[in-house]
Amino acid sequence: MEVKVDPERCQGHTLCAMAAPDVFELSDIDGHASAVNEAVSAEHEEKVREAAHSCPEQAISLF
Amino acid sequence: MSVDDVVDDDSRKRNTYDFDRHAPEYRDNFLPITEEMHAKCPMAWSDTHGGHWVAAGGREVFTFARSADVSNDHDLKGTRRGYKGIAIPTMERASGVRGGILEMDEPEHREFRSLLNPYLSPAAVNRWIPFIDEVVRASIDERIETGRIDFVDELANIVPAVLTLAMLGIPVKKWTIYNEPVHAAVYTPPDSPDIPRIGELHRAMGLDLLTNLMEVRENPRPGLVDALARATVDGETPDDMELLGILSLLIGGGFDTTTALTAHSLEWLSQHPEERDTLSRERDTLLNSATEEFLRYFAPAPGDGRTISADCEYDGIQLMEGDRLWLSWAMANRDSSLFPEPNQIDLERKGNRHFSFGLGIHRCIGSNVARTVFKRMLVAVLDRMPDYRCDPEGTVHYDSIGVIQGMRHLLATFTPGPRLGAGLDDTLEKLQLITDEQGLAEPITARGKDAQARG
Repeated sequence: MEVKVDPERCQGHTLCAMAAPDVFELSDIDGHASAVNEAVSAEHEEKVREAAHSCPEQAISLF
Repeated sequence: MSVDDVVDDDSRKRNTYDFDRHAPEYRDNFLPITEEMHAKCPMAWSDTHGGHWVAAGGREVFTFARSADVSNDHDLKGTRRGYKGIAIPTMERASGVRGGILEMDEPEHREFRSLLNPYLSPAAVNRWIPFIDEVVRASIDERIETGRIDFVDELANIVPAVLTLAMLGIPVKKWTIYNEPVHAAVYTPPDSPDIPRIGELHRAMGLDLLTNLMEVRENPRPGLVDALARATVDGETPDDMELLGILSLLIGGGFDTTTALTAHSLEWLSQHPEERDTLSRERDTLLNSATEEFLRYFAPAPGDGRTISADCEYDGIQLMEGDRLWLSWAMANRDSSLFPEPNQIDLERKGNRHFSFGLGIHRCIGSNVARTVFKRMLVAVLDRMPDYRCDPEGTVHYDSIGVIQGMRHLLATFTPGPRLGAGLDDTLEKLQLITDEQGLAEPITARGKDAQARG
């Protein structure tokens, strides 16, 4: 699985980092999210799905 | 009469719903109104308050909150397109001042918001946790030996107010000056005879803010006031009234909303003691999802107004440039297609993409503050008064939930416990010194994570 946060859509709700703290990091300046690593390990897959599902802006894509 | 007039009249007539958020019975009828609108007209036209659209469904709110054909602008002087900002109806008492960044469009919005972000990011807010915990500790200490507390007046009103002032760079002992006007302005219905008096208190608060702005220009001290005092936008120094609007927004956003969330959540937990016990025991896994669920269900800021900035169509409905639109975060939060069993609180709810902090570029800039302050208050209550019981006789909701869905009082009894430290006044004095010494109110960009290490 690959994960991407669309920086145009992300508005810093931080729900992804709550769902999958090891996978998403938040900017110190505005809390916007990015994937630490676009490749998602098997153990993180469920949490990453939850993160994508939880994003109010629907800014997270899974491949 | 043109074809256009017939078309938009038709759109309005076919989707009409009589929707009045400011009516006293609205709060009691929220559920049936929501269900009816979701079923019949999730995008509806209402003739109330000068006539406006209401986006009630999740899909409708998602579309219009993020649409390029929608404006937040409040054109006070009528030099642009005469749009009226985010309050429906337009709030006369605040007519001299714009509602800060919430009533700006791009690019102006982004220029001001960028100045504020480094004070309110998750990293910036995390530096304040020890401060928050101390204010919570002291507030509870004032009541812990009596076995009685008003969770609104004696806890949930205090902590957000003190923290907001500290983050602004205003002396925290002034929190009582700001407290009443901010809350009263929000819980008083627009047609109440009390409005003039509250307007007066608001003007006094505005004067204090402007005084602080001037003082900070003379003698800089860190905080959000400082960020605005030294702001240049497009090479120009913004008008003081513009800065006042932004400061008022930070205060209005910082005070009442977190208070409302906390009061409603504590009331619900009192009514569901088993869930309260579970939450307390399993807080490591449940606290985050429970917080989001309380946010969704209680939606302290129930919605915001917009103006349609270009003719557009949604689902065969024609909206015209200049039309007013109410984005109902609260109703969208109960959309069963997004939130299964939407009218149940599920502390473990998954996929909780609620609208309570808004959506799009105007996402509430205080969201990280709100979540953190709420969680610290909740955890302290669970730890120090785990058996608290709210008294229905001592529970007072706002008469009007048109602006904030809040509570005025929430009386509770509990098994008394020991004080842990100094009282509130002494604690605030100490915290002021710590804030100043450690530069807590500096932006995260000033010292990065060093500020945290020093604490």
